Amino acid sequence: MKRRSSMLLLLLAALFVACAPQSDETNATGRRLVIYSTTDLESFQPVLDDYKLLRPDVDIEYVALDAGPLYDRFLDEARRGAATADLLLSSAMDLQVKLVNDGFAASHDSANARALPSWARWRGQALGFTFEPVVMVYNKRLLGIRPPPRSRSELLSALKREPEFWRGRIGTYDAEHSNAGYLLVTQDARQSETFGALLQAMGEVDVQKFDNTAAILDRLAAGQLVAGYNLLGSYARARADQGAPLLLVYPDDYTLAVSRTAVIPAAAPYPQAAHSFLEYLLSIRGQQVLTTRSKLNAVRQEIQGPYAQSGVFNRELGTIRPIALGPGLLVYLDQQKRARFLDTWRRAMSPADIPTAQ
Amino acid sequence: MSQNTTRESRPEPLSLRLRLVGTLGAVLLIAMFALYAGVRVYSEEAADRSYDRLLSGAALSIAESLSVSHGKIQTDLPYAALEMLSAAPDDRVFYRVIGPDGLVATGYEDLPAEPAGSGKSVSVSRRAGEARFFDADYRGAEVRFAVLGRQISEPNAAGWVWVQVGQTRLAREALQRELMLGALVPLGFVAILTLVLVWFGTDRALRPLKLIGDELAGRGAVELDPIRTPVPREITPLTGAIDGFMTRLAGNMDTLRMFIAEAAHQLRTPLAALRAQAEIGVDGNAEDAHRSLAAIERNSAKMSRLLDQLLSHATVLHRADVQNSEAFDLIDIVHEAVHETLNLISDANVEIDHAVDAAPMKGDPVLIGESVKNLLHNALRYGCPNKDPISVSVGIEGPEYVVSIADRGPGIPVEQREWVFERFTRGTQSTPGAGLGLNIVRRAVTSHGGSVVLRDGPAGGLIAEIRLPRASQ
Repeated sequence: MKRRSSMLLLLLAALFVACAPQSDETNATGRRLVIYSTTDLESFQPVLDDYKLLRPDVDIEYVALDAGPLYDRFLDEARRGAATADLLLSSAMDLQVKLVNDGFAASHDSANARALPSWARWRGQALGFTFEPVVMVYNKRLLGIRPPPRSRSELLSALKREPEFWRGRIGTYDAEHSNAGYLLVTQDARQSETFGALLQAMGEVDVQKFDNTAAILDRLAAGQLVAGYNLLGSYARARADQGAPLLLVYPDDYTLAVSRTAVIPAAAPYPQAAHSFLEYLLSIRGQQVLTTRSKLNAVRQEIQGPYAQSGVFNRELGTIRPIALGPGLLVYLDQQKRARFLDTWRRAMSPADIPTAQ
Repeated sequence: MSQNTTRESRPEPLSLRLRLVGTLGAVLLIAMFALYAGVRVYSEEAADRSYDRLLSGAALSIAESLSVSHGKIQTDLPYAALEMLSAAPDDRVFYRVIGPDGLVATGYEDLPAEPAGSGKSVSVSRRAGEARFFDADYRGAEVRFAVLGRQISEPNAAGWVWVQVGQTRLAREALQRELMLGALVPLGFVAILTLVLVWFGTDRALRPLKLIGDELAGRGAVELDPIRTPVPREITPLTGAIDGFMTRLAGNMDTLRMFIAEAAHQLRTPLAALRAQAEIGVDGNAEDAHRSLAAIERNSAKMSRLLDQLLSHATVLHRADVQNSEAFDLIDIVHEAVHETLNLISDANVEIDHAVDAAPMKGDPVLIGESVKNLLHNALRYGCPNKDPISVSVGIEGPEYVVSIADRGPGIPVEQREWVFERFTRGTQSTPGAGLGLNIVRRAVTSHGGSVVLRDGPAGGLIAEIRLPRASQ
């Protein structure tokens, strides 16, 4: 294994040497490594800074986008043959898988890539670099003496028992407008028999819908919401560690885990820089920085700490079910499937708005 | 040095082991290539069969999720449909559903259509639920597609709905490689094992040869007995040949030994006489010395004749053993022999007469010539006390040439005629002679398949006849 990785390093070095004249020429004209990412720059800055220490010669242009626009923009640029990103980092695992499936991705093979758990990589082209459990978050103060529901069925009974307490004070992703939310809600629909009932119950207590985790956390911290459902654990943990009165619950029945996924486009203008950066991101050093400074859960199991995968497993309350990268994720991207699913979802979430008749 | 150059100029013949291994290796190699071709086809079919089942299963589960709503085909893509294709973990997946109107209801709109020939015109006759397969390039990769039809008969949407599911070929190729390796690696192993067995088995098979070699190497110079080592049937031709060769060698050595004994014996007597004469000459007066010298001269002449005869005997023995064979004319040879004899003995009186003009035959002309000369010498020495002419004639009697030499001498008594052919015997006369002559003649002539006969002449004297088969070797 060690020999292979050193061979690969040699290979990479040879690649750099081989491409050196090209990069020299383009460096003179201000060539940059362009990253499209769904992670906000604030979170990701420590990683970029650390990489800059290793490779001061590489300029990075970091473009923060939402998952949908990121996908659309890349696809548009790739189809037009226009200059596009060298690296795509997206929490929309399904869209990343679709890019790979449709042949837009280049392979990245290395010892670090092979060290990833099998659910976090597909074809060596979609590589998950974080491991983020999806949690329920409660405002401890507002919850008061009520025991926090620890599973979906407990949440369902709580909503049924005291609808007036929860009315308008539970928030979740807007599956229609947020790709991450859509991914999570479809996975819920696949995993759980009772999920339809939970959606229905949330709809009946006027669930609030948001485009991202941060918005929900803001309102939870401000006391406008009691509970948030399907929130990214890393963000919630960071917010709780900053002093917000938040309680994270890893659902007992099952805890989904998503992985921010990296894809290097086959048409990347500056691929060697993309490979080098991705290799850093998957390396122990990169993962360490991701965990300690960016407060994102590292995917590599060697990393220790509260934000690391091992840390999650240690305090684990539910069964962790990582969403696996693979062609299965394409199912809910199907045009008809998506339309049908969102129709059902809308009807459950907003029973008042839509007449029950077809 | 010289040995080196000979070795270089004449390369050693290829060893048996290399020949066996080479031939077998070539045969095995050809067999492996044939197997490779066969296994390739078979493994590709097998890999396709197993993954095609998944592909048609996926297509079937999609077809089962089809429904019609407001005149439009609705697909509730089952999660299992694509999930089951993850059995090929690294393969990309494509699908689409085409409605009766020919429009893509959902999925990838630009999938390659099924190639013509297996087209949809014949589809009605096909049973539902049976997928068809084809390969096509799509998005830069070779993709295996399954197409499955399902008939819909709703009032506002009737006809065939087509489900097309495709998957890249990585897993199939991997399975095919695995199947091929599984078949070819053991075969290759067996082939190598066979070659190794032959390599070492050659030693075992050739052990009898080594044993024969050991036995021969351990023998003394004159141990020429047959080989005692028991050998397998396949090697008996070799031992038979060696045994035959040894027998001939033993015969040669016997001849040689006898010749040496004869020569020593024959030379001892005249040498003793010479010494005695010389002693008398040294001790006696001038008259004695003169007589001794005359006696020495006589004896020397006798010895030199004897030596001639011994040498000619040796020549005959050697040539008879070697068995030269060339074409010659008997008449020429007889003429030559007569002339050579006349050159030595000038006062001889010889008549030659031949009934035929040519007597072609095969054999050793030197042996025949020596034989004729020998008989002529004998005739001149014993058969013409009054300088009567000796007559030599060549004739044909049936299948034989007959060379006869007739003299007018006293002849040889009938009871002694066989005996004179023994070595060192002579007729009763006390005329000088070594007694080797007739023995030499008989050996030379019998080696040609002929015979020597002595008989009385019609007008007295002796006739010696050499009879040689005309179709002689």
